[in-house]
Amino acid sequence: MSIETASLTKHYVETKAIDNVSVSIGDDVQVLALIGPSGGGKSTFLRLIGGLESPTSGEVMVNGIKLPVGDSALREWRKKNGFLFQSFNLFPHLTAEENVILPLVEVHQSSREDAKNRAQEMLSRFGLTKHLGKKPGQLSGGQQQRVALARAIANKPQWLLLDEPTSALDPEMKAEVLDLIEELQKSGQKIILSTHEMGFARRASDHVIFLSDGQKLEEGNAEELFENPKTAEVKLFLEKVMKW
Amino acid sequence: MKTFLGIFVSVVLGATFCFVFWVVASHDYQWDAIAPYKGNFISGWWTTLLISVIALVGSILIGALLTSGQLSPWKVPRILSRSFVEIIRGTPLLTQILIGYYLVAPAIGWDSRFGVGFLVLSCFSGAYLSEIFRGGVESIPSSQWLSAKAIGFTDAQTYRFVVIPQAIRRVLPASAGQFANLVKDSSLLFVISVHEFTMQAREVNANTYATFEAYLPLIFGYFILTFPISLLSRSLEKRFAYEH
Repeated sequence: MSIETASLTKHYVETKAIDNVSVSIGDDVQVLALIGPSGGGKSTFLRLIGGLESPTSGEVMVNGIKLPVGDSALREWRKKNGFLFQSFNLFPHLTAEENVILPLVEVHQSSREDAKNRAQEMLSRFGLTKHLGKKPGQLSGGQQQRVALARAIANKPQWLLLDEPTSALDPEMKAEVLDLIEELQKSGQKIILSTHEMGFARRASDHVIFLSDGQKLEEGNAEELFENPKTAEVKLFLEKVMKW
Repeated sequence: MKTFLGIFVSVVLGATFCFVFWVVASHDYQWDAIAPYKGNFISGWWTTLLISVIALVGSILIGALLTSGQLSPWKVPRILSRSFVEIIRGTPLLTQILIGYYLVAPAIGWDSRFGVGFLVLSCFSGAYLSEIFRGGVESIPSSQWLSAKAIGFTDAQTYRFVVIPQAIRRVLPASAGQFANLVKDSSLLFVISVHEFTMQAREVNANTYATFEAYLPLIFGYFILTFPISLLSRSLEKRFAYEH
């Protein structure tokens, strides 16, 4: 499945979050990483591709078909994908298990029993069997993010969209979550992620887009981009973040 | 500082409580004077209970309706609901009852003191509740909306499964206070001769000139109605609690 954007632009009142970005993500790309400085447009780009927001102008095409404009029309596209956010965004009034079950039953029309089985299968796969009945407030950050990941992939999404999935975690929990994402990648899950984890982006992705000030500065094969950045800004950024 | 404040509050409140209790208890009461009117108190108390319960349900419905009007994406229901709330909250209940019964009700050929009393009380309390409900809904962080959207929920599903269950917990204490106010505000219905609890006490006073004996039962009568609301609210708060 391919994703293309043509002159994709998203303006907020006074900022150009994404400015005229055109990319072509071929069917062969399994993991796409969006990198670049904070505030460069990674999250907005991810949300536009995932149908969480509509562009100001330009378009997103999936398999050559343009995504519709408008919130309710985009819902069908959102339902096919899984999202994971930096701050977990679990529903705090529901248990870990209910967090996974609810969308399966209410959005994807699974029977309650099937949804429950699926939730237990996903959560035990992520080492959370002991925590099924706990509410998010009773779980550590890493555990919460693993529950959120289980919820995001429970419906077997076409694309898994990860928005800085480890930025709010301490190093040990970061490793837990990155391990799981890598495991998903190895099982063939298609992933688009925005990240500050350069090591992970380099190792796990096969295509990288560098966004800065809402514009695409570079795009290409991960190994190539990290080894031989073409622009001075990307080179400087990579030198800075890889230094430590 | 904390210790000092704790002692200070305990001493001041304890002393005030003891003093008032002593003054009230040491009065020379003529209970015989009001004994023949026992039936009036009981029927008045039941009327207050009945009108409060019905108006409580009515005010929740009106409050919810006004909240949805205020949160509507359309301007007209927003402006109308807002105006209704401002007018009701900015004017005395006593005047509303008089206008409702002597001007509005006759204009539509309606002559029911109880009916008008119930409706005016419901509108009055509903306006306050709608502000409490609106505050509750707006206090749910935008990340919850984003998460619900990402899952593929419609707005209606987001309200039903995500926003309202969390908002209920937050609006309970303030709503309980408003319900207790409603019970006490029903005493103003004496101006249109609804024979509720306070009206009966006024009549007993007029007949016997035993002022304290006529009005003291109001303290117990109203407290028996409002205290359970407070208890129920606390137990519901625990039931809906999701923080650990």
